[in-house]
Amino acid sequence: MTIFNEIYGIYFLIAGKILGRRVTDEGQIYSMINKYGFRDSILFLPQKLIPQGDGSDWGLLTKDGSGRLLSVLSHAPESRMTNIQKRWLKAILSDPKARLFLDESDILRLEEKLKDIKPLFCKRHFCFTDRFSDGDPFDSDEYRRNFRTILRAVHEKRVLDIDFVSGHGKRIRRPFVPVKIEYSPKNDKFRLYCFMLRKNGKAACGLINIGRITAVNETAMIWDKPLPVDELYQKTAEPVTVKVTAERNAVERFMMEFACYEKQTERDLSTGVCTVKLWYDDRDETELLIRLLSFGPVLEILGPESFRKQAAERISKQFKLING
Amino acid sequence: MAGFSELIKNFEKTRDYMRDFFIYGYKVRGDFNYRSVRTYDDEKRRAESWLGECLRYDDSVRGRQISISVDSGHIAENPLYRAYYSKSFTDNDIRLHFFILDVLADNAPLTLKETVQSIDERFGVIFEEQTVRNKLKEYAAEGILICQKRGRADCFSLSPDICTEYFSEIPALTDAVKFFSECGPFGIIGNSILKAADIKNDIFLIKHNYIVHTLEDMMLAELITAADEKRLVSFESYSAKRSDNTAGRAFDAVPLCIFCSVQTGRRYLAAYIPEYRRFHSFRLDRIKNVKPKEAFPEYDSIYEKFLANTKRCFGVSFGSRHEWGYTEPLKITFYIDEKNEEYVLNRLLREKRCGTLEKAAENTYILTLDVFDPNEAMHWAKSFIGRILRIEGGSDEIRRRFYNDIKRMYNIYGDDKIDDIQ
Repeated sequence: MTIFNEIYGIYFLIAGKILGRRVTDEGQIYSMINKYGFRDSILFLPQKLIPQGDGSDWGLLTKDGSGRLLSVLSHAPESRMTNIQKRWLKAILSDPKARLFLDESDILRLEEKLKDIKPLFCKRHFCFTDRFSDGDPFDSDEYRRNFRTILRAVHEKRVLDIDFVSGHGKRIRRPFVPVKIEYSPKNDKFRLYCFMLRKNGKAACGLINIGRITAVNETAMIWDKPLPVDELYQKTAEPVTVKVTAERNAVERFMMEFACYEKQTERDLSTGVCTVKLWYDDRDETELLIRLLSFGPVLEILGPESFRKQAAERISKQFKLING
Repeated sequence: MAGFSELIKNFEKTRDYMRDFFIYGYKVRGDFNYRSVRTYDDEKRRAESWLGECLRYDDSVRGRQISISVDSGHIAENPLYRAYYSKSFTDNDIRLHFFILDVLADNAPLTLKETVQSIDERFGVIFEEQTVRNKLKEYAAEGILICQKRGRADCFSLSPDICTEYFSEIPALTDAVKFFSECGPFGIIGNSILKAADIKNDIFLIKHNYIVHTLEDMMLAELITAADEKRLVSFESYSAKRSDNTAGRAFDAVPLCIFCSVQTGRRYLAAYIPEYRRFHSFRLDRIKNVKPKEAFPEYDSIYEKFLANTKRCFGVSFGSRHEWGYTEPLKITFYIDEKNEEYVLNRLLREKRCGTLEKAAENTYILTLDVFDPNEAMHWAKSFIGRILRIEGGSDEIRRRFYNDIKRMYNIYGDDKIDDIQ
């Protein structure tokens, strides 16, 4: 039992979707392959699906007199839930975050469907060694209620009246259009990407910690106008450039730790020094800075100048703290 | 490139390439010397086929670098999942798949002979009984089919559990699967459920998202199964320099738990090695060829000891006194401006582990860590640069390195240079 099995594969998936149509044509086959396949699937798959006359196809479709392609099956194929998929579902049920999505009756129905299934994993199998201890209160009824209201509003594009305390301790109550929900395994918190509706009719993007919301209410307004979704992610135009030396296995440690970032790397073979450009969200600049500093002298921030200056100030302060 | 296929038989080989494309990104063709050049070309082309839009090409003096470059915090689906959807198969595999499901969809449970006969009658194709038997048994093991006895014969019918019906019966499950398919262990399995139901994640984003972990999922499942069955496993553990073509070091160990660092992206198998009578953590991405072995009778008592020991692990190390010499509790004294920098104090409170934080004086706090390997705390401690008054305890080497590091950093960034750096 493994997920690396052809029954989950893209070719089986595409064949199943095509056979589900019962009647199709070559154009639709190409279109389905382009939609669901890998880039090169178009080179390999059509001749296996479309009857070839020499028996080299899979024999799943026949061609009629008018050139239509007919499924040889009597029934449209339906994907069955496999044991490993059921075991995974059973496992996620024991995560407290599952209750954010599923209410008690959902849980009971799912548990009934999966009653003889052994969970694929459980909490004791994993130990998160450095997760922050002030995660969101997933067991709180109020938190769950707020989360579900937000989730529903994201689907409906419904404007929400949100009352929350900002990171600077300021209480804010405004109408917001919720767009995406972000979770951080490190912080163990959810945040809401949203647009704040201003009185002038314009929308400004925002990010709200769901745990800081004190009240959230649905309004009657559905926001169907286009929103500048690209502005939600405030990626810096200029990347941070760092130089990582080979000392203390720093290159390997750095590459792994910063694997989540969009980056460009180059290595000088003679010195082993790696130069890396990292693109990041403006709002995470301090977090990025302290993570880079934690590498100590095996990493140097080369630019931008303003970013390097922040590092220099902290180091200077540190030097003075221990040397007087 | 004759004979190229975008499908693969062996995930292990692909895993190595995908990982190197993703993690390092600076390697050129000649750096992938643990396999042949032909293999590199095939793996590169597959990566291009699976991950086209995520690939980045950079020309350097050493050649063309190919990397998988994504901002993992702002993607709807882990692109590395696509490697799992590329398992190769035979023409008969796919024919039998759809033919068996079709003849069994008539609702009557069928024996092996009846299945072969039904396929012949409906599709005009005669398969050998052995081939069909293997497929029926495989699908029964996967859970697609149900196998019941009719007299002495096995009878097969379709499982009633249709993916789309789960979502229509429990609509809220859709968002749960969308979320957990991108966050948490074995997300690829959730993704396969979504794919079967033609659903895409359009809501959730995962920050601090180490998408590369999915490449270890198959091995992870084997380790977890062995832990549940309280078995020993054998495996090979490789060094970071995989390009040196050296064999891994073989171990027999008892898997206990997976240590996950959500800050560094590293994951470890925490295990007990009976031969050395000690606990050890192995980098998960450097383990290969996991094989289950016999049951380990002392599993429960060892697991109890392990749980007790984890209370003194700052990260994943069970101690390296031989490396760092004598260690005593590590004390880090912080200067925190209580009036204006409450957020720093909050940071300490939420990020500290295995230790106690005490207020020593106004604006001065001492964190005491009594851990097996104080050196593990130093990477984290340096994220407080600018606020550390002193480091005490630990070992001479740890303290010397910290103070020396600050001098070196001051020399890198400061205007005044100092010379007494060791």
